[in-house]
Amino acid sequence: MTDLALQHYLAVGAILFAIGLMGFVTRRNLIIMFLCTELMFQGIAVTLIAFGRYHFATRPEAFFASQAFVLFVLVIAAAEAALALGLIVLLFRRKQTLDAEAWHELNG
Amino acid sequence: MEHLFAIKHSYLIPLLPLLGAAIAGFLCTGKRKTLAHWPIWISVGISAILSITLLLGMLAEHEAPKAGLYHVQNWYHWISAGSFDASVGFLFDPLTAVMLCVVTGIGFLITVFAAGYMKGEEGYSRFFAYLGLFIFMMTMLVMGNNFLMLYLGWEGVGLCSYLLIGYYYERPAAREAAKKAFLVNRVGDFGFGLGVMLMFAAFGTVSYFGDGSGVLELATSGSLTGFQSQALQWLPFLLMLGAFGKSAQFPLYVWLPDAMEGPTPVSALIHAATMVTAGVYMIVRCGTLFVGNDAAMITITLIGAFTAIFAASIAMRQFDLKKVFAYSTISQLGFMFVGVGVLAPVAGVFHLVTHAFFKALLFLSCGVVMHAMLGELDMRKMSGLKHVLPKTRWLILCGSLALAGFPFVSGFFSKDEIVAAAWHRYPVIGVVLLITAFMTAYYTFRLYFRVFEGPLVLPTGVSAGHQPSPQPSPAGADSHAVHGADSHDAPAGHGTDHGHTAHHNHEPSLMIVPLIVLAIGALLAGYLNYPAERLGDFLGKSPSLVASFDIARQRAAAEGVTLAPAPFGQEEYRQLTKQERSAEDVVHLRMMVVSGLISAAAIYLAYVVHRQRRDVADLLYVRVRRIARVLDAKYWVDEIYQACIVESLRKLGRLLFVIDQVVVDGLVWLAGFTPQGAGFVVKVTSQRGYLQGYASAMVLGVLIILLIVVL
Repeated sequence: MTDLALQHYLAVGAILFAIGLMGFVTRRNLIIMFLCTELMFQGIAVTLIAFGRYHFATRPEAFFASQAFVLFVLVIAAAEAALALGLIVLLFRRKQTLDAEAWHELNG
Repeated sequence: MEHLFAIKHSYLIPLLPLLGAAIAGFLCTGKRKTLAHWPIWISVGISAILSITLLLGMLAEHEAPKAGLYHVQNWYHWISAGSFDASVGFLFDPLTAVMLCVVTGIGFLITVFAAGYMKGEEGYSRFFAYLGLFIFMMTMLVMGNNFLMLYLGWEGVGLCSYLLIGYYYERPAAREAAKKAFLVNRVGDFGFGLGVMLMFAAFGTVSYFGDGSGVLELATSGSLTGFQSQALQWLPFLLMLGAFGKSAQFPLYVWLPDAMEGPTPVSALIHAATMVTAGVYMIVRCGTLFVGNDAAMITITLIGAFTAIFAASIAMRQFDLKKVFAYSTISQLGFMFVGVGVLAPVAGVFHLVTHAFFKALLFLSCGVVMHAMLGELDMRKMSGLKHVLPKTRWLILCGSLALAGFPFVSGFFSKDEIVAAAWHRYPVIGVVLLITAFMTAYYTFRLYFRVFEGPLVLPTGVSAGHQPSPQPSPAGADSHAVHGADSHDAPAGHGTDHGHTAHHNHEPSLMIVPLIVLAIGALLAGYLNYPAERLGDFLGKSPSLVASFDIARQRAAAEGVTLAPAPFGQEEYRQLTKQERSAEDVVHLRMMVVSGLISAAAIYLAYVVHRQRRDVADLLYVRVRRIARVLDAKYWVDEIYQACIVESLRKLGRLLFVIDQVVVDGLVWLAGFTPQGAGFVVKVTSQRGYLQGYASAMVLGVLIILLIVVL
């Protein structure tokens, strides 16, 4: 049993991001789509932390920077979740559906 | 010489008229309109005084340096780009001084006249503003020390000419005439512009003089490169084209008769006395470029002589007073060109000066007639005007005698010098000029005897003025004159009533006094250069003439011909032996007698045919009606131009219009349509409002970018 190496973290991050992306592209429920964007965020955050830890010995400042960055991402994601969910509630009230297709007439 | 007040403050000579023009044009509006002549009078008057003091100051300079009496004054660098450098600088030499006196002096007299003539006009201040601008441009033209300033003035006077011909812009004929003048001049100016460019390409400068680095100095320096001497072969022809356009010589003369649509003071100032002589001035100024080039000199002589006789023959069958004098001006300009062409620049400039006096006088007298006859200018409709316009009759007689070259009047001496010089060089040209002189005297006195002598006939609606008329004249008839060749072209209401009565004075003193001054000039200006040749000696000190004479003398020596120095006004003339000199004078004297007799004979013929037996004229017309018809049609030159040039250009223009519409506009439309069309295609294919579609497109795009970056 080997220790967890960088590539494992990267693989988890990539998988999270890929699931999020696939979900975003294929699902039509607004809440699911929103959840998928959150998944992509987390995938990126995991990757960032992994890289930061990996470079800790040579460039400690990168480690701190990555941690700070990820904290920001989490905070922003939380704020965004509050906003987006509110918007989704409003959209639902308009059309009594969460289907993104319902809004396709907003096309440019 | 540079201590002269007029030279130290020479910037005032052009700038004051410009300032006057600005004041007249911008400030004299509304109620102040009737004051618009004051800024122009004052500014042009001061310019005239400065010019005269300049002339007198130069006359006082006795010993001239070998290279000629001149002073260059540079005010500031105008354009400086790479090796190109043009300064706003003035050249003061006798030629400039004489031209300045003519431009500002006669210009001043004409502005005085114009105040009387244009009184009550709608565009009174506009007229004076243009007049001031014209004087500014003309003084720049004659004072400039480089070809760029010459070109500036050249185009500037062309612009003023255009504006003033089209002064009555509400009249279609005036608009057409203005456009014609501008376009015909453009043909000549194109050549002139090319000439200036070639000059810069060859010599690297466009100044006349400047411590040995000016074009006119380099051209004689003797160390020319191959390109430079080749350029010298072509330069005179290019410059000549400009001169022919501006001075209305044969192929390009057609605009001048039409230019008579402008107000009469304009015809006198621009189209007789000053602007049209710019070509002669330019050729004399650039004598060093011309004199060495035989082909150019012969071309000038031939074109001048042909124009002289051609225009004079047309003038014999014109019935419009101003048209007669317009063709006469073209003919007299031909004389001047012959003068410079046969190596007698002094004679050319001398004729320019005398012509400025007598032709301005004749045109302004026409203006008085027109003013009194309510715009009527057809000599068939009037006769015996000496009873109505007694002063004008004497004035026009002075002018006519001078134009006809009647002995001992100014035109006689100046014309005679040209004829003698032509005779000396090419006897055939001399004969042509003598025939032209006969025609000139005939058509001048045909006009005089028809209009001023004989029984009193007035155009309808004109009262005799001084005699009490039995009935009040019809309303509107006593209104202010409708100035224009064709009064029926004028829109109704243009000649609005300015409160003149039927008995108003036909000869207001504001118009007569300047004419008296001009008449004195017309009678006596000939004594400027005869018998003592004072004008010639003075002009001979100009560096242009000194250098031209050197070239001409070298060429003459190489060909073994004797060259008369007198036409260049050079000192050598004084040092000729008595015998040589008297031989030359005898030729001149004989020529004087011959041309005097010719002039008298022509006047007598005109007297018989147009004063004593007017019925003979009609009989004569029937006899020679074929010739008369050709002359009446003015040799169909306008029609030929219309058919050959104007129509083909118009067709080309239509073709180009279609090309513009289809090809050029098509391309522009295509350029505008392509993004719009692309946008539409994208809108209907991918921009459909499905969130998943956008997301997949984005993913696809990121993938493509990644691929590009990684690979």
